[in-house]
Amino acid sequence: MQNRFGIKDFLVLLLLLAILATQWLSMVQRDRQWPVLQAIADQVGALDERLAGVDARLSSGVVSAPRATVGGPVAAATPSRAEGWARTGVPVQWQPEPSFANDPSKVPGYRVGGEWVEVFEGQPQKLTPYLYADVYGNRVVDRVCESLGSFDPKTMMLVGVLADAWQVDPDGKWIRAHLNPRAKFSDGSPVTAEDVRWTYQDFIMNPAIDADRTRSTLADILDGVEVIDERSVEFRFKDALFSNILIALGEPILSKKYYAQFEAAQVNQSTGLLMGSGPFMMAQTPKSVSELSTQWTPGNDVVLVRNPNWWIGRAPLDGQRFRVIKDDLARLVAYDNNEASMVLPTSPQYNALLRDRHDFEKTNYALKWINMRSGYSFIAWQCGPRGETGRLTPFQDGRVRRAMTLLLDREKMIRDIWDGIGVVAKGPFNPESPASNPSLSPLEFNPQAAMALLKEAGWEDRNQDGILENEKGEKFKFEYTYATGGEIAERIARFVVDSYNKAGIEVTTRPIDWARYQDLLKSRDFDAITLAWSANSPESDPRQTYHSESMAKGRDNFSQWSSPEADALIEKGRRTMDPAMRMLVWHELERVIAEGQPYTFIRVAPWLRLIKRDFGNVRMYKTGLSPEEYFFSGPSSTTQPGT
Amino acid sequence: MLPYISRRLLFMIPTLVGMTLMVYTLIALAPGGFSASASAAAGGGAPAGGDPRIAEAKFRDRFLLDEPLLTQYGRWLARVFPVKFGTRAQVDATGERIYWPASLPEMIAVGDAASPAEVQRLAESMAAARASFHAAEPELQRQAQYRQVSREAKTARESLVGALAQLRLDLAEYAAATGQSALVDSRGELPASRLVALRVDTAHELWSSVAASARVANDAYAKASAARAVLEASFESRPFREAGVGVIPGVLSVGAPDLGWSRTKNRPVGSLILEALPVTLLINVVAFPLIYLVAIPAGMLAAARRGSLFDVLSGGVFIALWSIPVVWAGVLAIGFLASNQYLGLFPVAGLHATDSASMPFLPSWGAAGFARGWLLDLVWHLVLPVTCLVYAGFAVLSRQTRAAMLDNFNADYVRTAKAKGVSRRDIVLRHVFRNSLLPLITMFVSIFPAMLSGSVVVEKIFSVPGMGSLMLEAISLHDAEMMLANTVMIGCVSLLALLLADILYAVADPRVSYA
Repeated sequence: MQNRFGIKDFLVLLLLLAILATQWLSMVQRDRQWPVLQAIADQVGALDERLAGVDARLSSGVVSAPRATVGGPVAAATPSRAEGWARTGVPVQWQPEPSFANDPSKVPGYRVGGEWVEVFEGQPQKLTPYLYADVYGNRVVDRVCESLGSFDPKTMMLVGVLADAWQVDPDGKWIRAHLNPRAKFSDGSPVTAEDVRWTYQDFIMNPAIDADRTRSTLADILDGVEVIDERSVEFRFKDALFSNILIALGEPILSKKYYAQFEAAQVNQSTGLLMGSGPFMMAQTPKSVSELSTQWTPGNDVVLVRNPNWWIGRAPLDGQRFRVIKDDLARLVAYDNNEASMVLPTSPQYNALLRDRHDFEKTNYALKWINMRSGYSFIAWQCGPRGETGRLTPFQDGRVRRAMTLLLDREKMIRDIWDGIGVVAKGPFNPESPASNPSLSPLEFNPQAAMALLKEAGWEDRNQDGILENEKGEKFKFEYTYATGGEIAERIARFVVDSYNKAGIEVTTRPIDWARYQDLLKSRDFDAITLAWSANSPESDPRQTYHSESMAKGRDNFSQWSSPEADALIEKGRRTMDPAMRMLVWHELERVIAEGQPYTFIRVAPWLRLIKRDFGNVRMYKTGLSPEEYFFSGPSSTTQPGT
Repeated sequence: MLPYISRRLLFMIPTLVGMTLMVYTLIALAPGGFSASASAAAGGGAPAGGDPRIAEAKFRDRFLLDEPLLTQYGRWLARVFPVKFGTRAQVDATGERIYWPASLPEMIAVGDAASPAEVQRLAESMAAARASFHAAEPELQRQAQYRQVSREAKTARESLVGALAQLRLDLAEYAAATGQSALVDSRGELPASRLVALRVDTAHELWSSVAASARVANDAYAKASAARAVLEASFESRPFREAGVGVIPGVLSVGAPDLGWSRTKNRPVGSLILEALPVTLLINVVAFPLIYLVAIPAGMLAAARRGSLFDVLSGGVFIALWSIPVVWAGVLAIGFLASNQYLGLFPVAGLHATDSASMPFLPSWGAAGFARGWLLDLVWHLVLPVTCLVYAGFAVLSRQTRAAMLDNFNADYVRTAKAKGVSRRDIVLRHVFRNSLLPLITMFVSIFPAMLSGSVVVEKIFSVPGMGSLMLEAISLHDAEMMLANTVMIGCVSLLALLLADILYAVADPRVSYA
C-alpha cells in the first residue's frame, strides 16, 4: 500500500501544531504574570514589615495623636512662616495650605475604593511630561504632576500648590517662590528647589530633549532659575510681564532624582515616563533604566493608582483608568454598559438622552457648564491688506465689521447648529473669567441697524439688483474660508452664506485642508476665516492677537486689526502685576475690542459631561472637574468591595 | 528559475525608489508641503514672545527642511536603504542612530563675513577647536563626552539659525525701507540668493541694525563651526557601536533601515509600526482564512451544481452582504449586539478586557464558576471586528471561483474524463479545481499587502489600534516620515507577493516556465 500524505495526516499535523502553539502561548502568559506575582509578593513583604513595626510600637505603649480623617488634609504642623528666604522690602504672599476644594470625607456616602474610568476619543502617543503631543497626554499628566501654583477651582485666582509662598517683583522682573516643606513625590522623596531648577533649566531648556513646544515659549521670557536655598528658588525674566508669573508657577515640576537617571534619547523615545507629586501615579512606571521596557505603551489602557504618598491628602478612589474608544456611538454604548464612568457626549447626543430617557438623570449626572477651559468660535475679518495681492477688503471699515455681526443671528445659529447648547460670545475673555467685562453684552441681531451702518459706510443697493454696491459701483462680495472635514463647519458656512445673501452681500466659500490653515493665517490670504480658540487658563496675553505690532507677517494678529487705544491698554495690562488692577484693564480692553469687532464672536462652548451617579462629590468647578476628590458609592462589577 | 528570481529581485530596487520618490513628490507638492506637518507638530499657535519667524526658522532647521527637496529625499533614501555608503552611522545603547553631523546652514555674506581674512580666521579657529579635542579613554566616558559635545553643538547651531533668521528679517526691513521690497520673499525675509541684487547704503539708519545682526550672525557662525568641528572629532573617536556590517571599510556597509522619526507623534516610526502591526496581523490572520474557507468551497459547490437552489441562494446572500456598508454594519453591531440595552453579547471596544492581564490563559471552571481566560477573552473581543472585515469578502472570491470552475467544466478534457468514467468527485477536485487555480492565485497574493495595511473603518469603529488608524492619522496630519515608511513596507510586500504569484503560476501550471 502506498503511504501517501493525505488529508487526515494533514489534520493531525495541524492539531499537533495547534497544541504546541497553545502550550507555548500559555508559557508566555505565565511569563507575563510573573512580574505581577513578584509585585504582590513584594507588597506582602512590605506589609509584613509595617505590621511588625506597628506591633512593636503597640507593645511599647507609644500611641501617636490621631491624624486627620482619611481623605481630608493631613493636619500639618503649624507652618513656619519664617521669611529668611525672601528678598527684603518686597511683601511675601503666603498661600493657604492646599487641600481638596470640597472635602469628600464630609459628603454623605463617602467611601474609599473604586476605579474611575474615562474615555479618550483618540489614541494618546506619549504621556511623558513636556513631550506629549496631544490633549490626552495633558489630561493624564495633570492628574499625576503638580506645579508650583494653580487656579483655585472656586475663585479662579492663582493659589499655591507646591509653593506655600511667593514674592513678585513689583517691576515684574523676578519671582521668588518658597516650596511647601511637606511636598514630596510619589516615591517619597521631597520636592526641593533643585528639582524646580532642574525641571526648567536642565529638562525643558535642554536642547537634547524634545520639549520644543514649551522650550520655545520659555526661551523668550526666562532669563534663569536660581536655587536660593533647599526650599526656595528664584525665576528671573527678560521682560516684565504678568504672564511670566503664570508660566513660572504653572509648569509641572519633575523629580530630578527620577528623570536625571535616563539619557535624553531614552526620554525622547519614551512613551510613559511619568512620575510626579500629584494625587495619582502610574500603576506601572519604570523605576530605573533597566525597567524602561515596562512603561506604558499606546494601545493599552492608561492605569493610574492612588499615590499613597500624596502630601495633600488621600484620594478616595483606588485608581483611574483611561480607555480609548474612537467611535462616537461606541463611546456612549460603553458608558451605558457601565464600562466607563464618564463620557463626553456630542450636543445632539446630550439632548437626545435627556429628551428620550426621562429617568436618565436618576442614575447619571448630566453636566453642562462653562468653565475656564471652554473655548470660543469666531469669524475673523480681514481688516488689513489681503495676502500677496494686498487687496483691501470691505472689512477695513469698522462700521462694516459691526454690521456683519449685527446681520448674523447668533442665537439662531446656536439653536440650529449646536442644538441650543452654548451661549453667544461677546469678546476674547471667557465669560466665567474675572477678566471678562460683566457690564458688556453681545451685540443683538439687528438687520435694520446693520443696513443703516452699511449705508453710512457707502454700501447700498444702487442699481436695484438686490446686491449692495459702493460709490464706484463695486459689488459687496467676500470669500469665506473654513476648514474641511467637519459637519459643524459646513453648517456654519451655509448659515453665514444665507445670512449675508439675504442682506445683499455675495459670499463665496473656500473650504481648506486643516493642515494648511496655519500657512493661510500667516500669509493673511483670506477675507473672512472661521476658527476656534481653546483655553486652559482664565487669562491669556491679548498681545499676540490684538496688538498692532503682532500684525507683522507670521504673527498671530492675522485679522490685522490695529487700534491705538487697544495697544495702549494691552501694554498697560501686561505690565500690571496686581491681578485685581489688571482685570480692570482687561475689562476696558474687551470693550474696545467689542467696538472694533475685528472678530465676530460666535459661541462659547460649554463642557458637556455625563457621569454615573455611582460617584459622589462630583462638582462643576470654574476650572473643570476634580476627579481626585470623587468617591465611589455605588455597586459595580469593576470594584471589589472592602478595599 | 533562480536567475529569473534574482533578476526580479534586482528590478524591485528601482521600482521601490520610484514609488517612494513619487510619494515624496506628492507630499512636497501637496498644499503646505512638508512644513504643514511641521506646523501641526509645533502645536499651531505661535509662542508668546519673540518673533515666531525665528522660532519657525529654528524648527525648519531641526528637520533640515530648508534644503532642496531632492537632497532631503536623498538623505531619507540613504537612511532607509539597507546598503549604506560612506561613513557608517553609530548606534547608542537606546538603539538610536547617530549620524555624521549635518552641515551648517549657508552663511549670509553681509559686511566683512565674506572677506578672505575672515574665512581664514574661521578655518584656523575650526582647526584649533578640532585639535583641542581629546577623546576620553574608557568607552563610557567617551559616550558622555559625545553627549556633552553634541548638546553644545546643538545649542550653538540653534543660536546660529536664530541669528541668521534675524539677519534675513533685518535685511528685509532695510530693503523695504529703501524701496527694494521686490527682493523680499513671501515669508517676509530676504533670502541670501537675492543679496547680490541689494543696493547697500551704509549711511542708512536701518543699515546699522543690519550690520549689528550680521556681526551677531558672524560670531554665532564661528561658534557653531567650532562646535561642529569638535562634534565631528568626537564622532570620529567612535563613542558608540557602528551600525550594520561593514563590507568595504569607510565606503560600503549593510545595515537595517532607519525609518525615521514621526514629527506629529514625536516617536520613532519603527516603534509605532511595531506596535500597530501585530494588532492588524492578528485580526487579518483570523479574517482572511475565514473568507477563503467559506468562499472557495461555496464557489466550487455553486459551480458544480449550477442553477441549483444553493447556487442562487449563496450568490444572492453573498452579494447582499457585499453591498452592506461596513460603517453601517459596525454601528448597528455596536448599537444592538454590544449595548446592554439590547443584547449586550459582545464588548464594545478594544481587544482585551480591562482585567485580562490577571486572567489565566485558558478557559477554566473553578470555585467562582466559569472563567473566560485570556485566550477566550481575546476571541470574544475579536468576533465583531472580524465579522465586519469578513462578510463583504465572500462575494467576489466565491463568484470568481465559480466562474473559473464553470469555464473548465465546459472544456473538452472534462468531457473526456466523464466519458472515461472518472468519478464526479475526482473530476471536480483533481481536474477542474486545479485548472481553475490560476485566477485564484492572482487574488490570493493580493491579500499580503492587505494584511499589513489594516482596515481604517473597522479599526475606527471598534477602537482597534492597528495600522489603518495609524496611517489615516499620518495622512491627515501630513506626517511625511510615517507615510513614506508605510509606502516602503507595503511596496516591498506587494512586490514580493507579485513575485510569489509568478512562482506559484509555474507550480500550478506546467505550461508556465521561466527558464
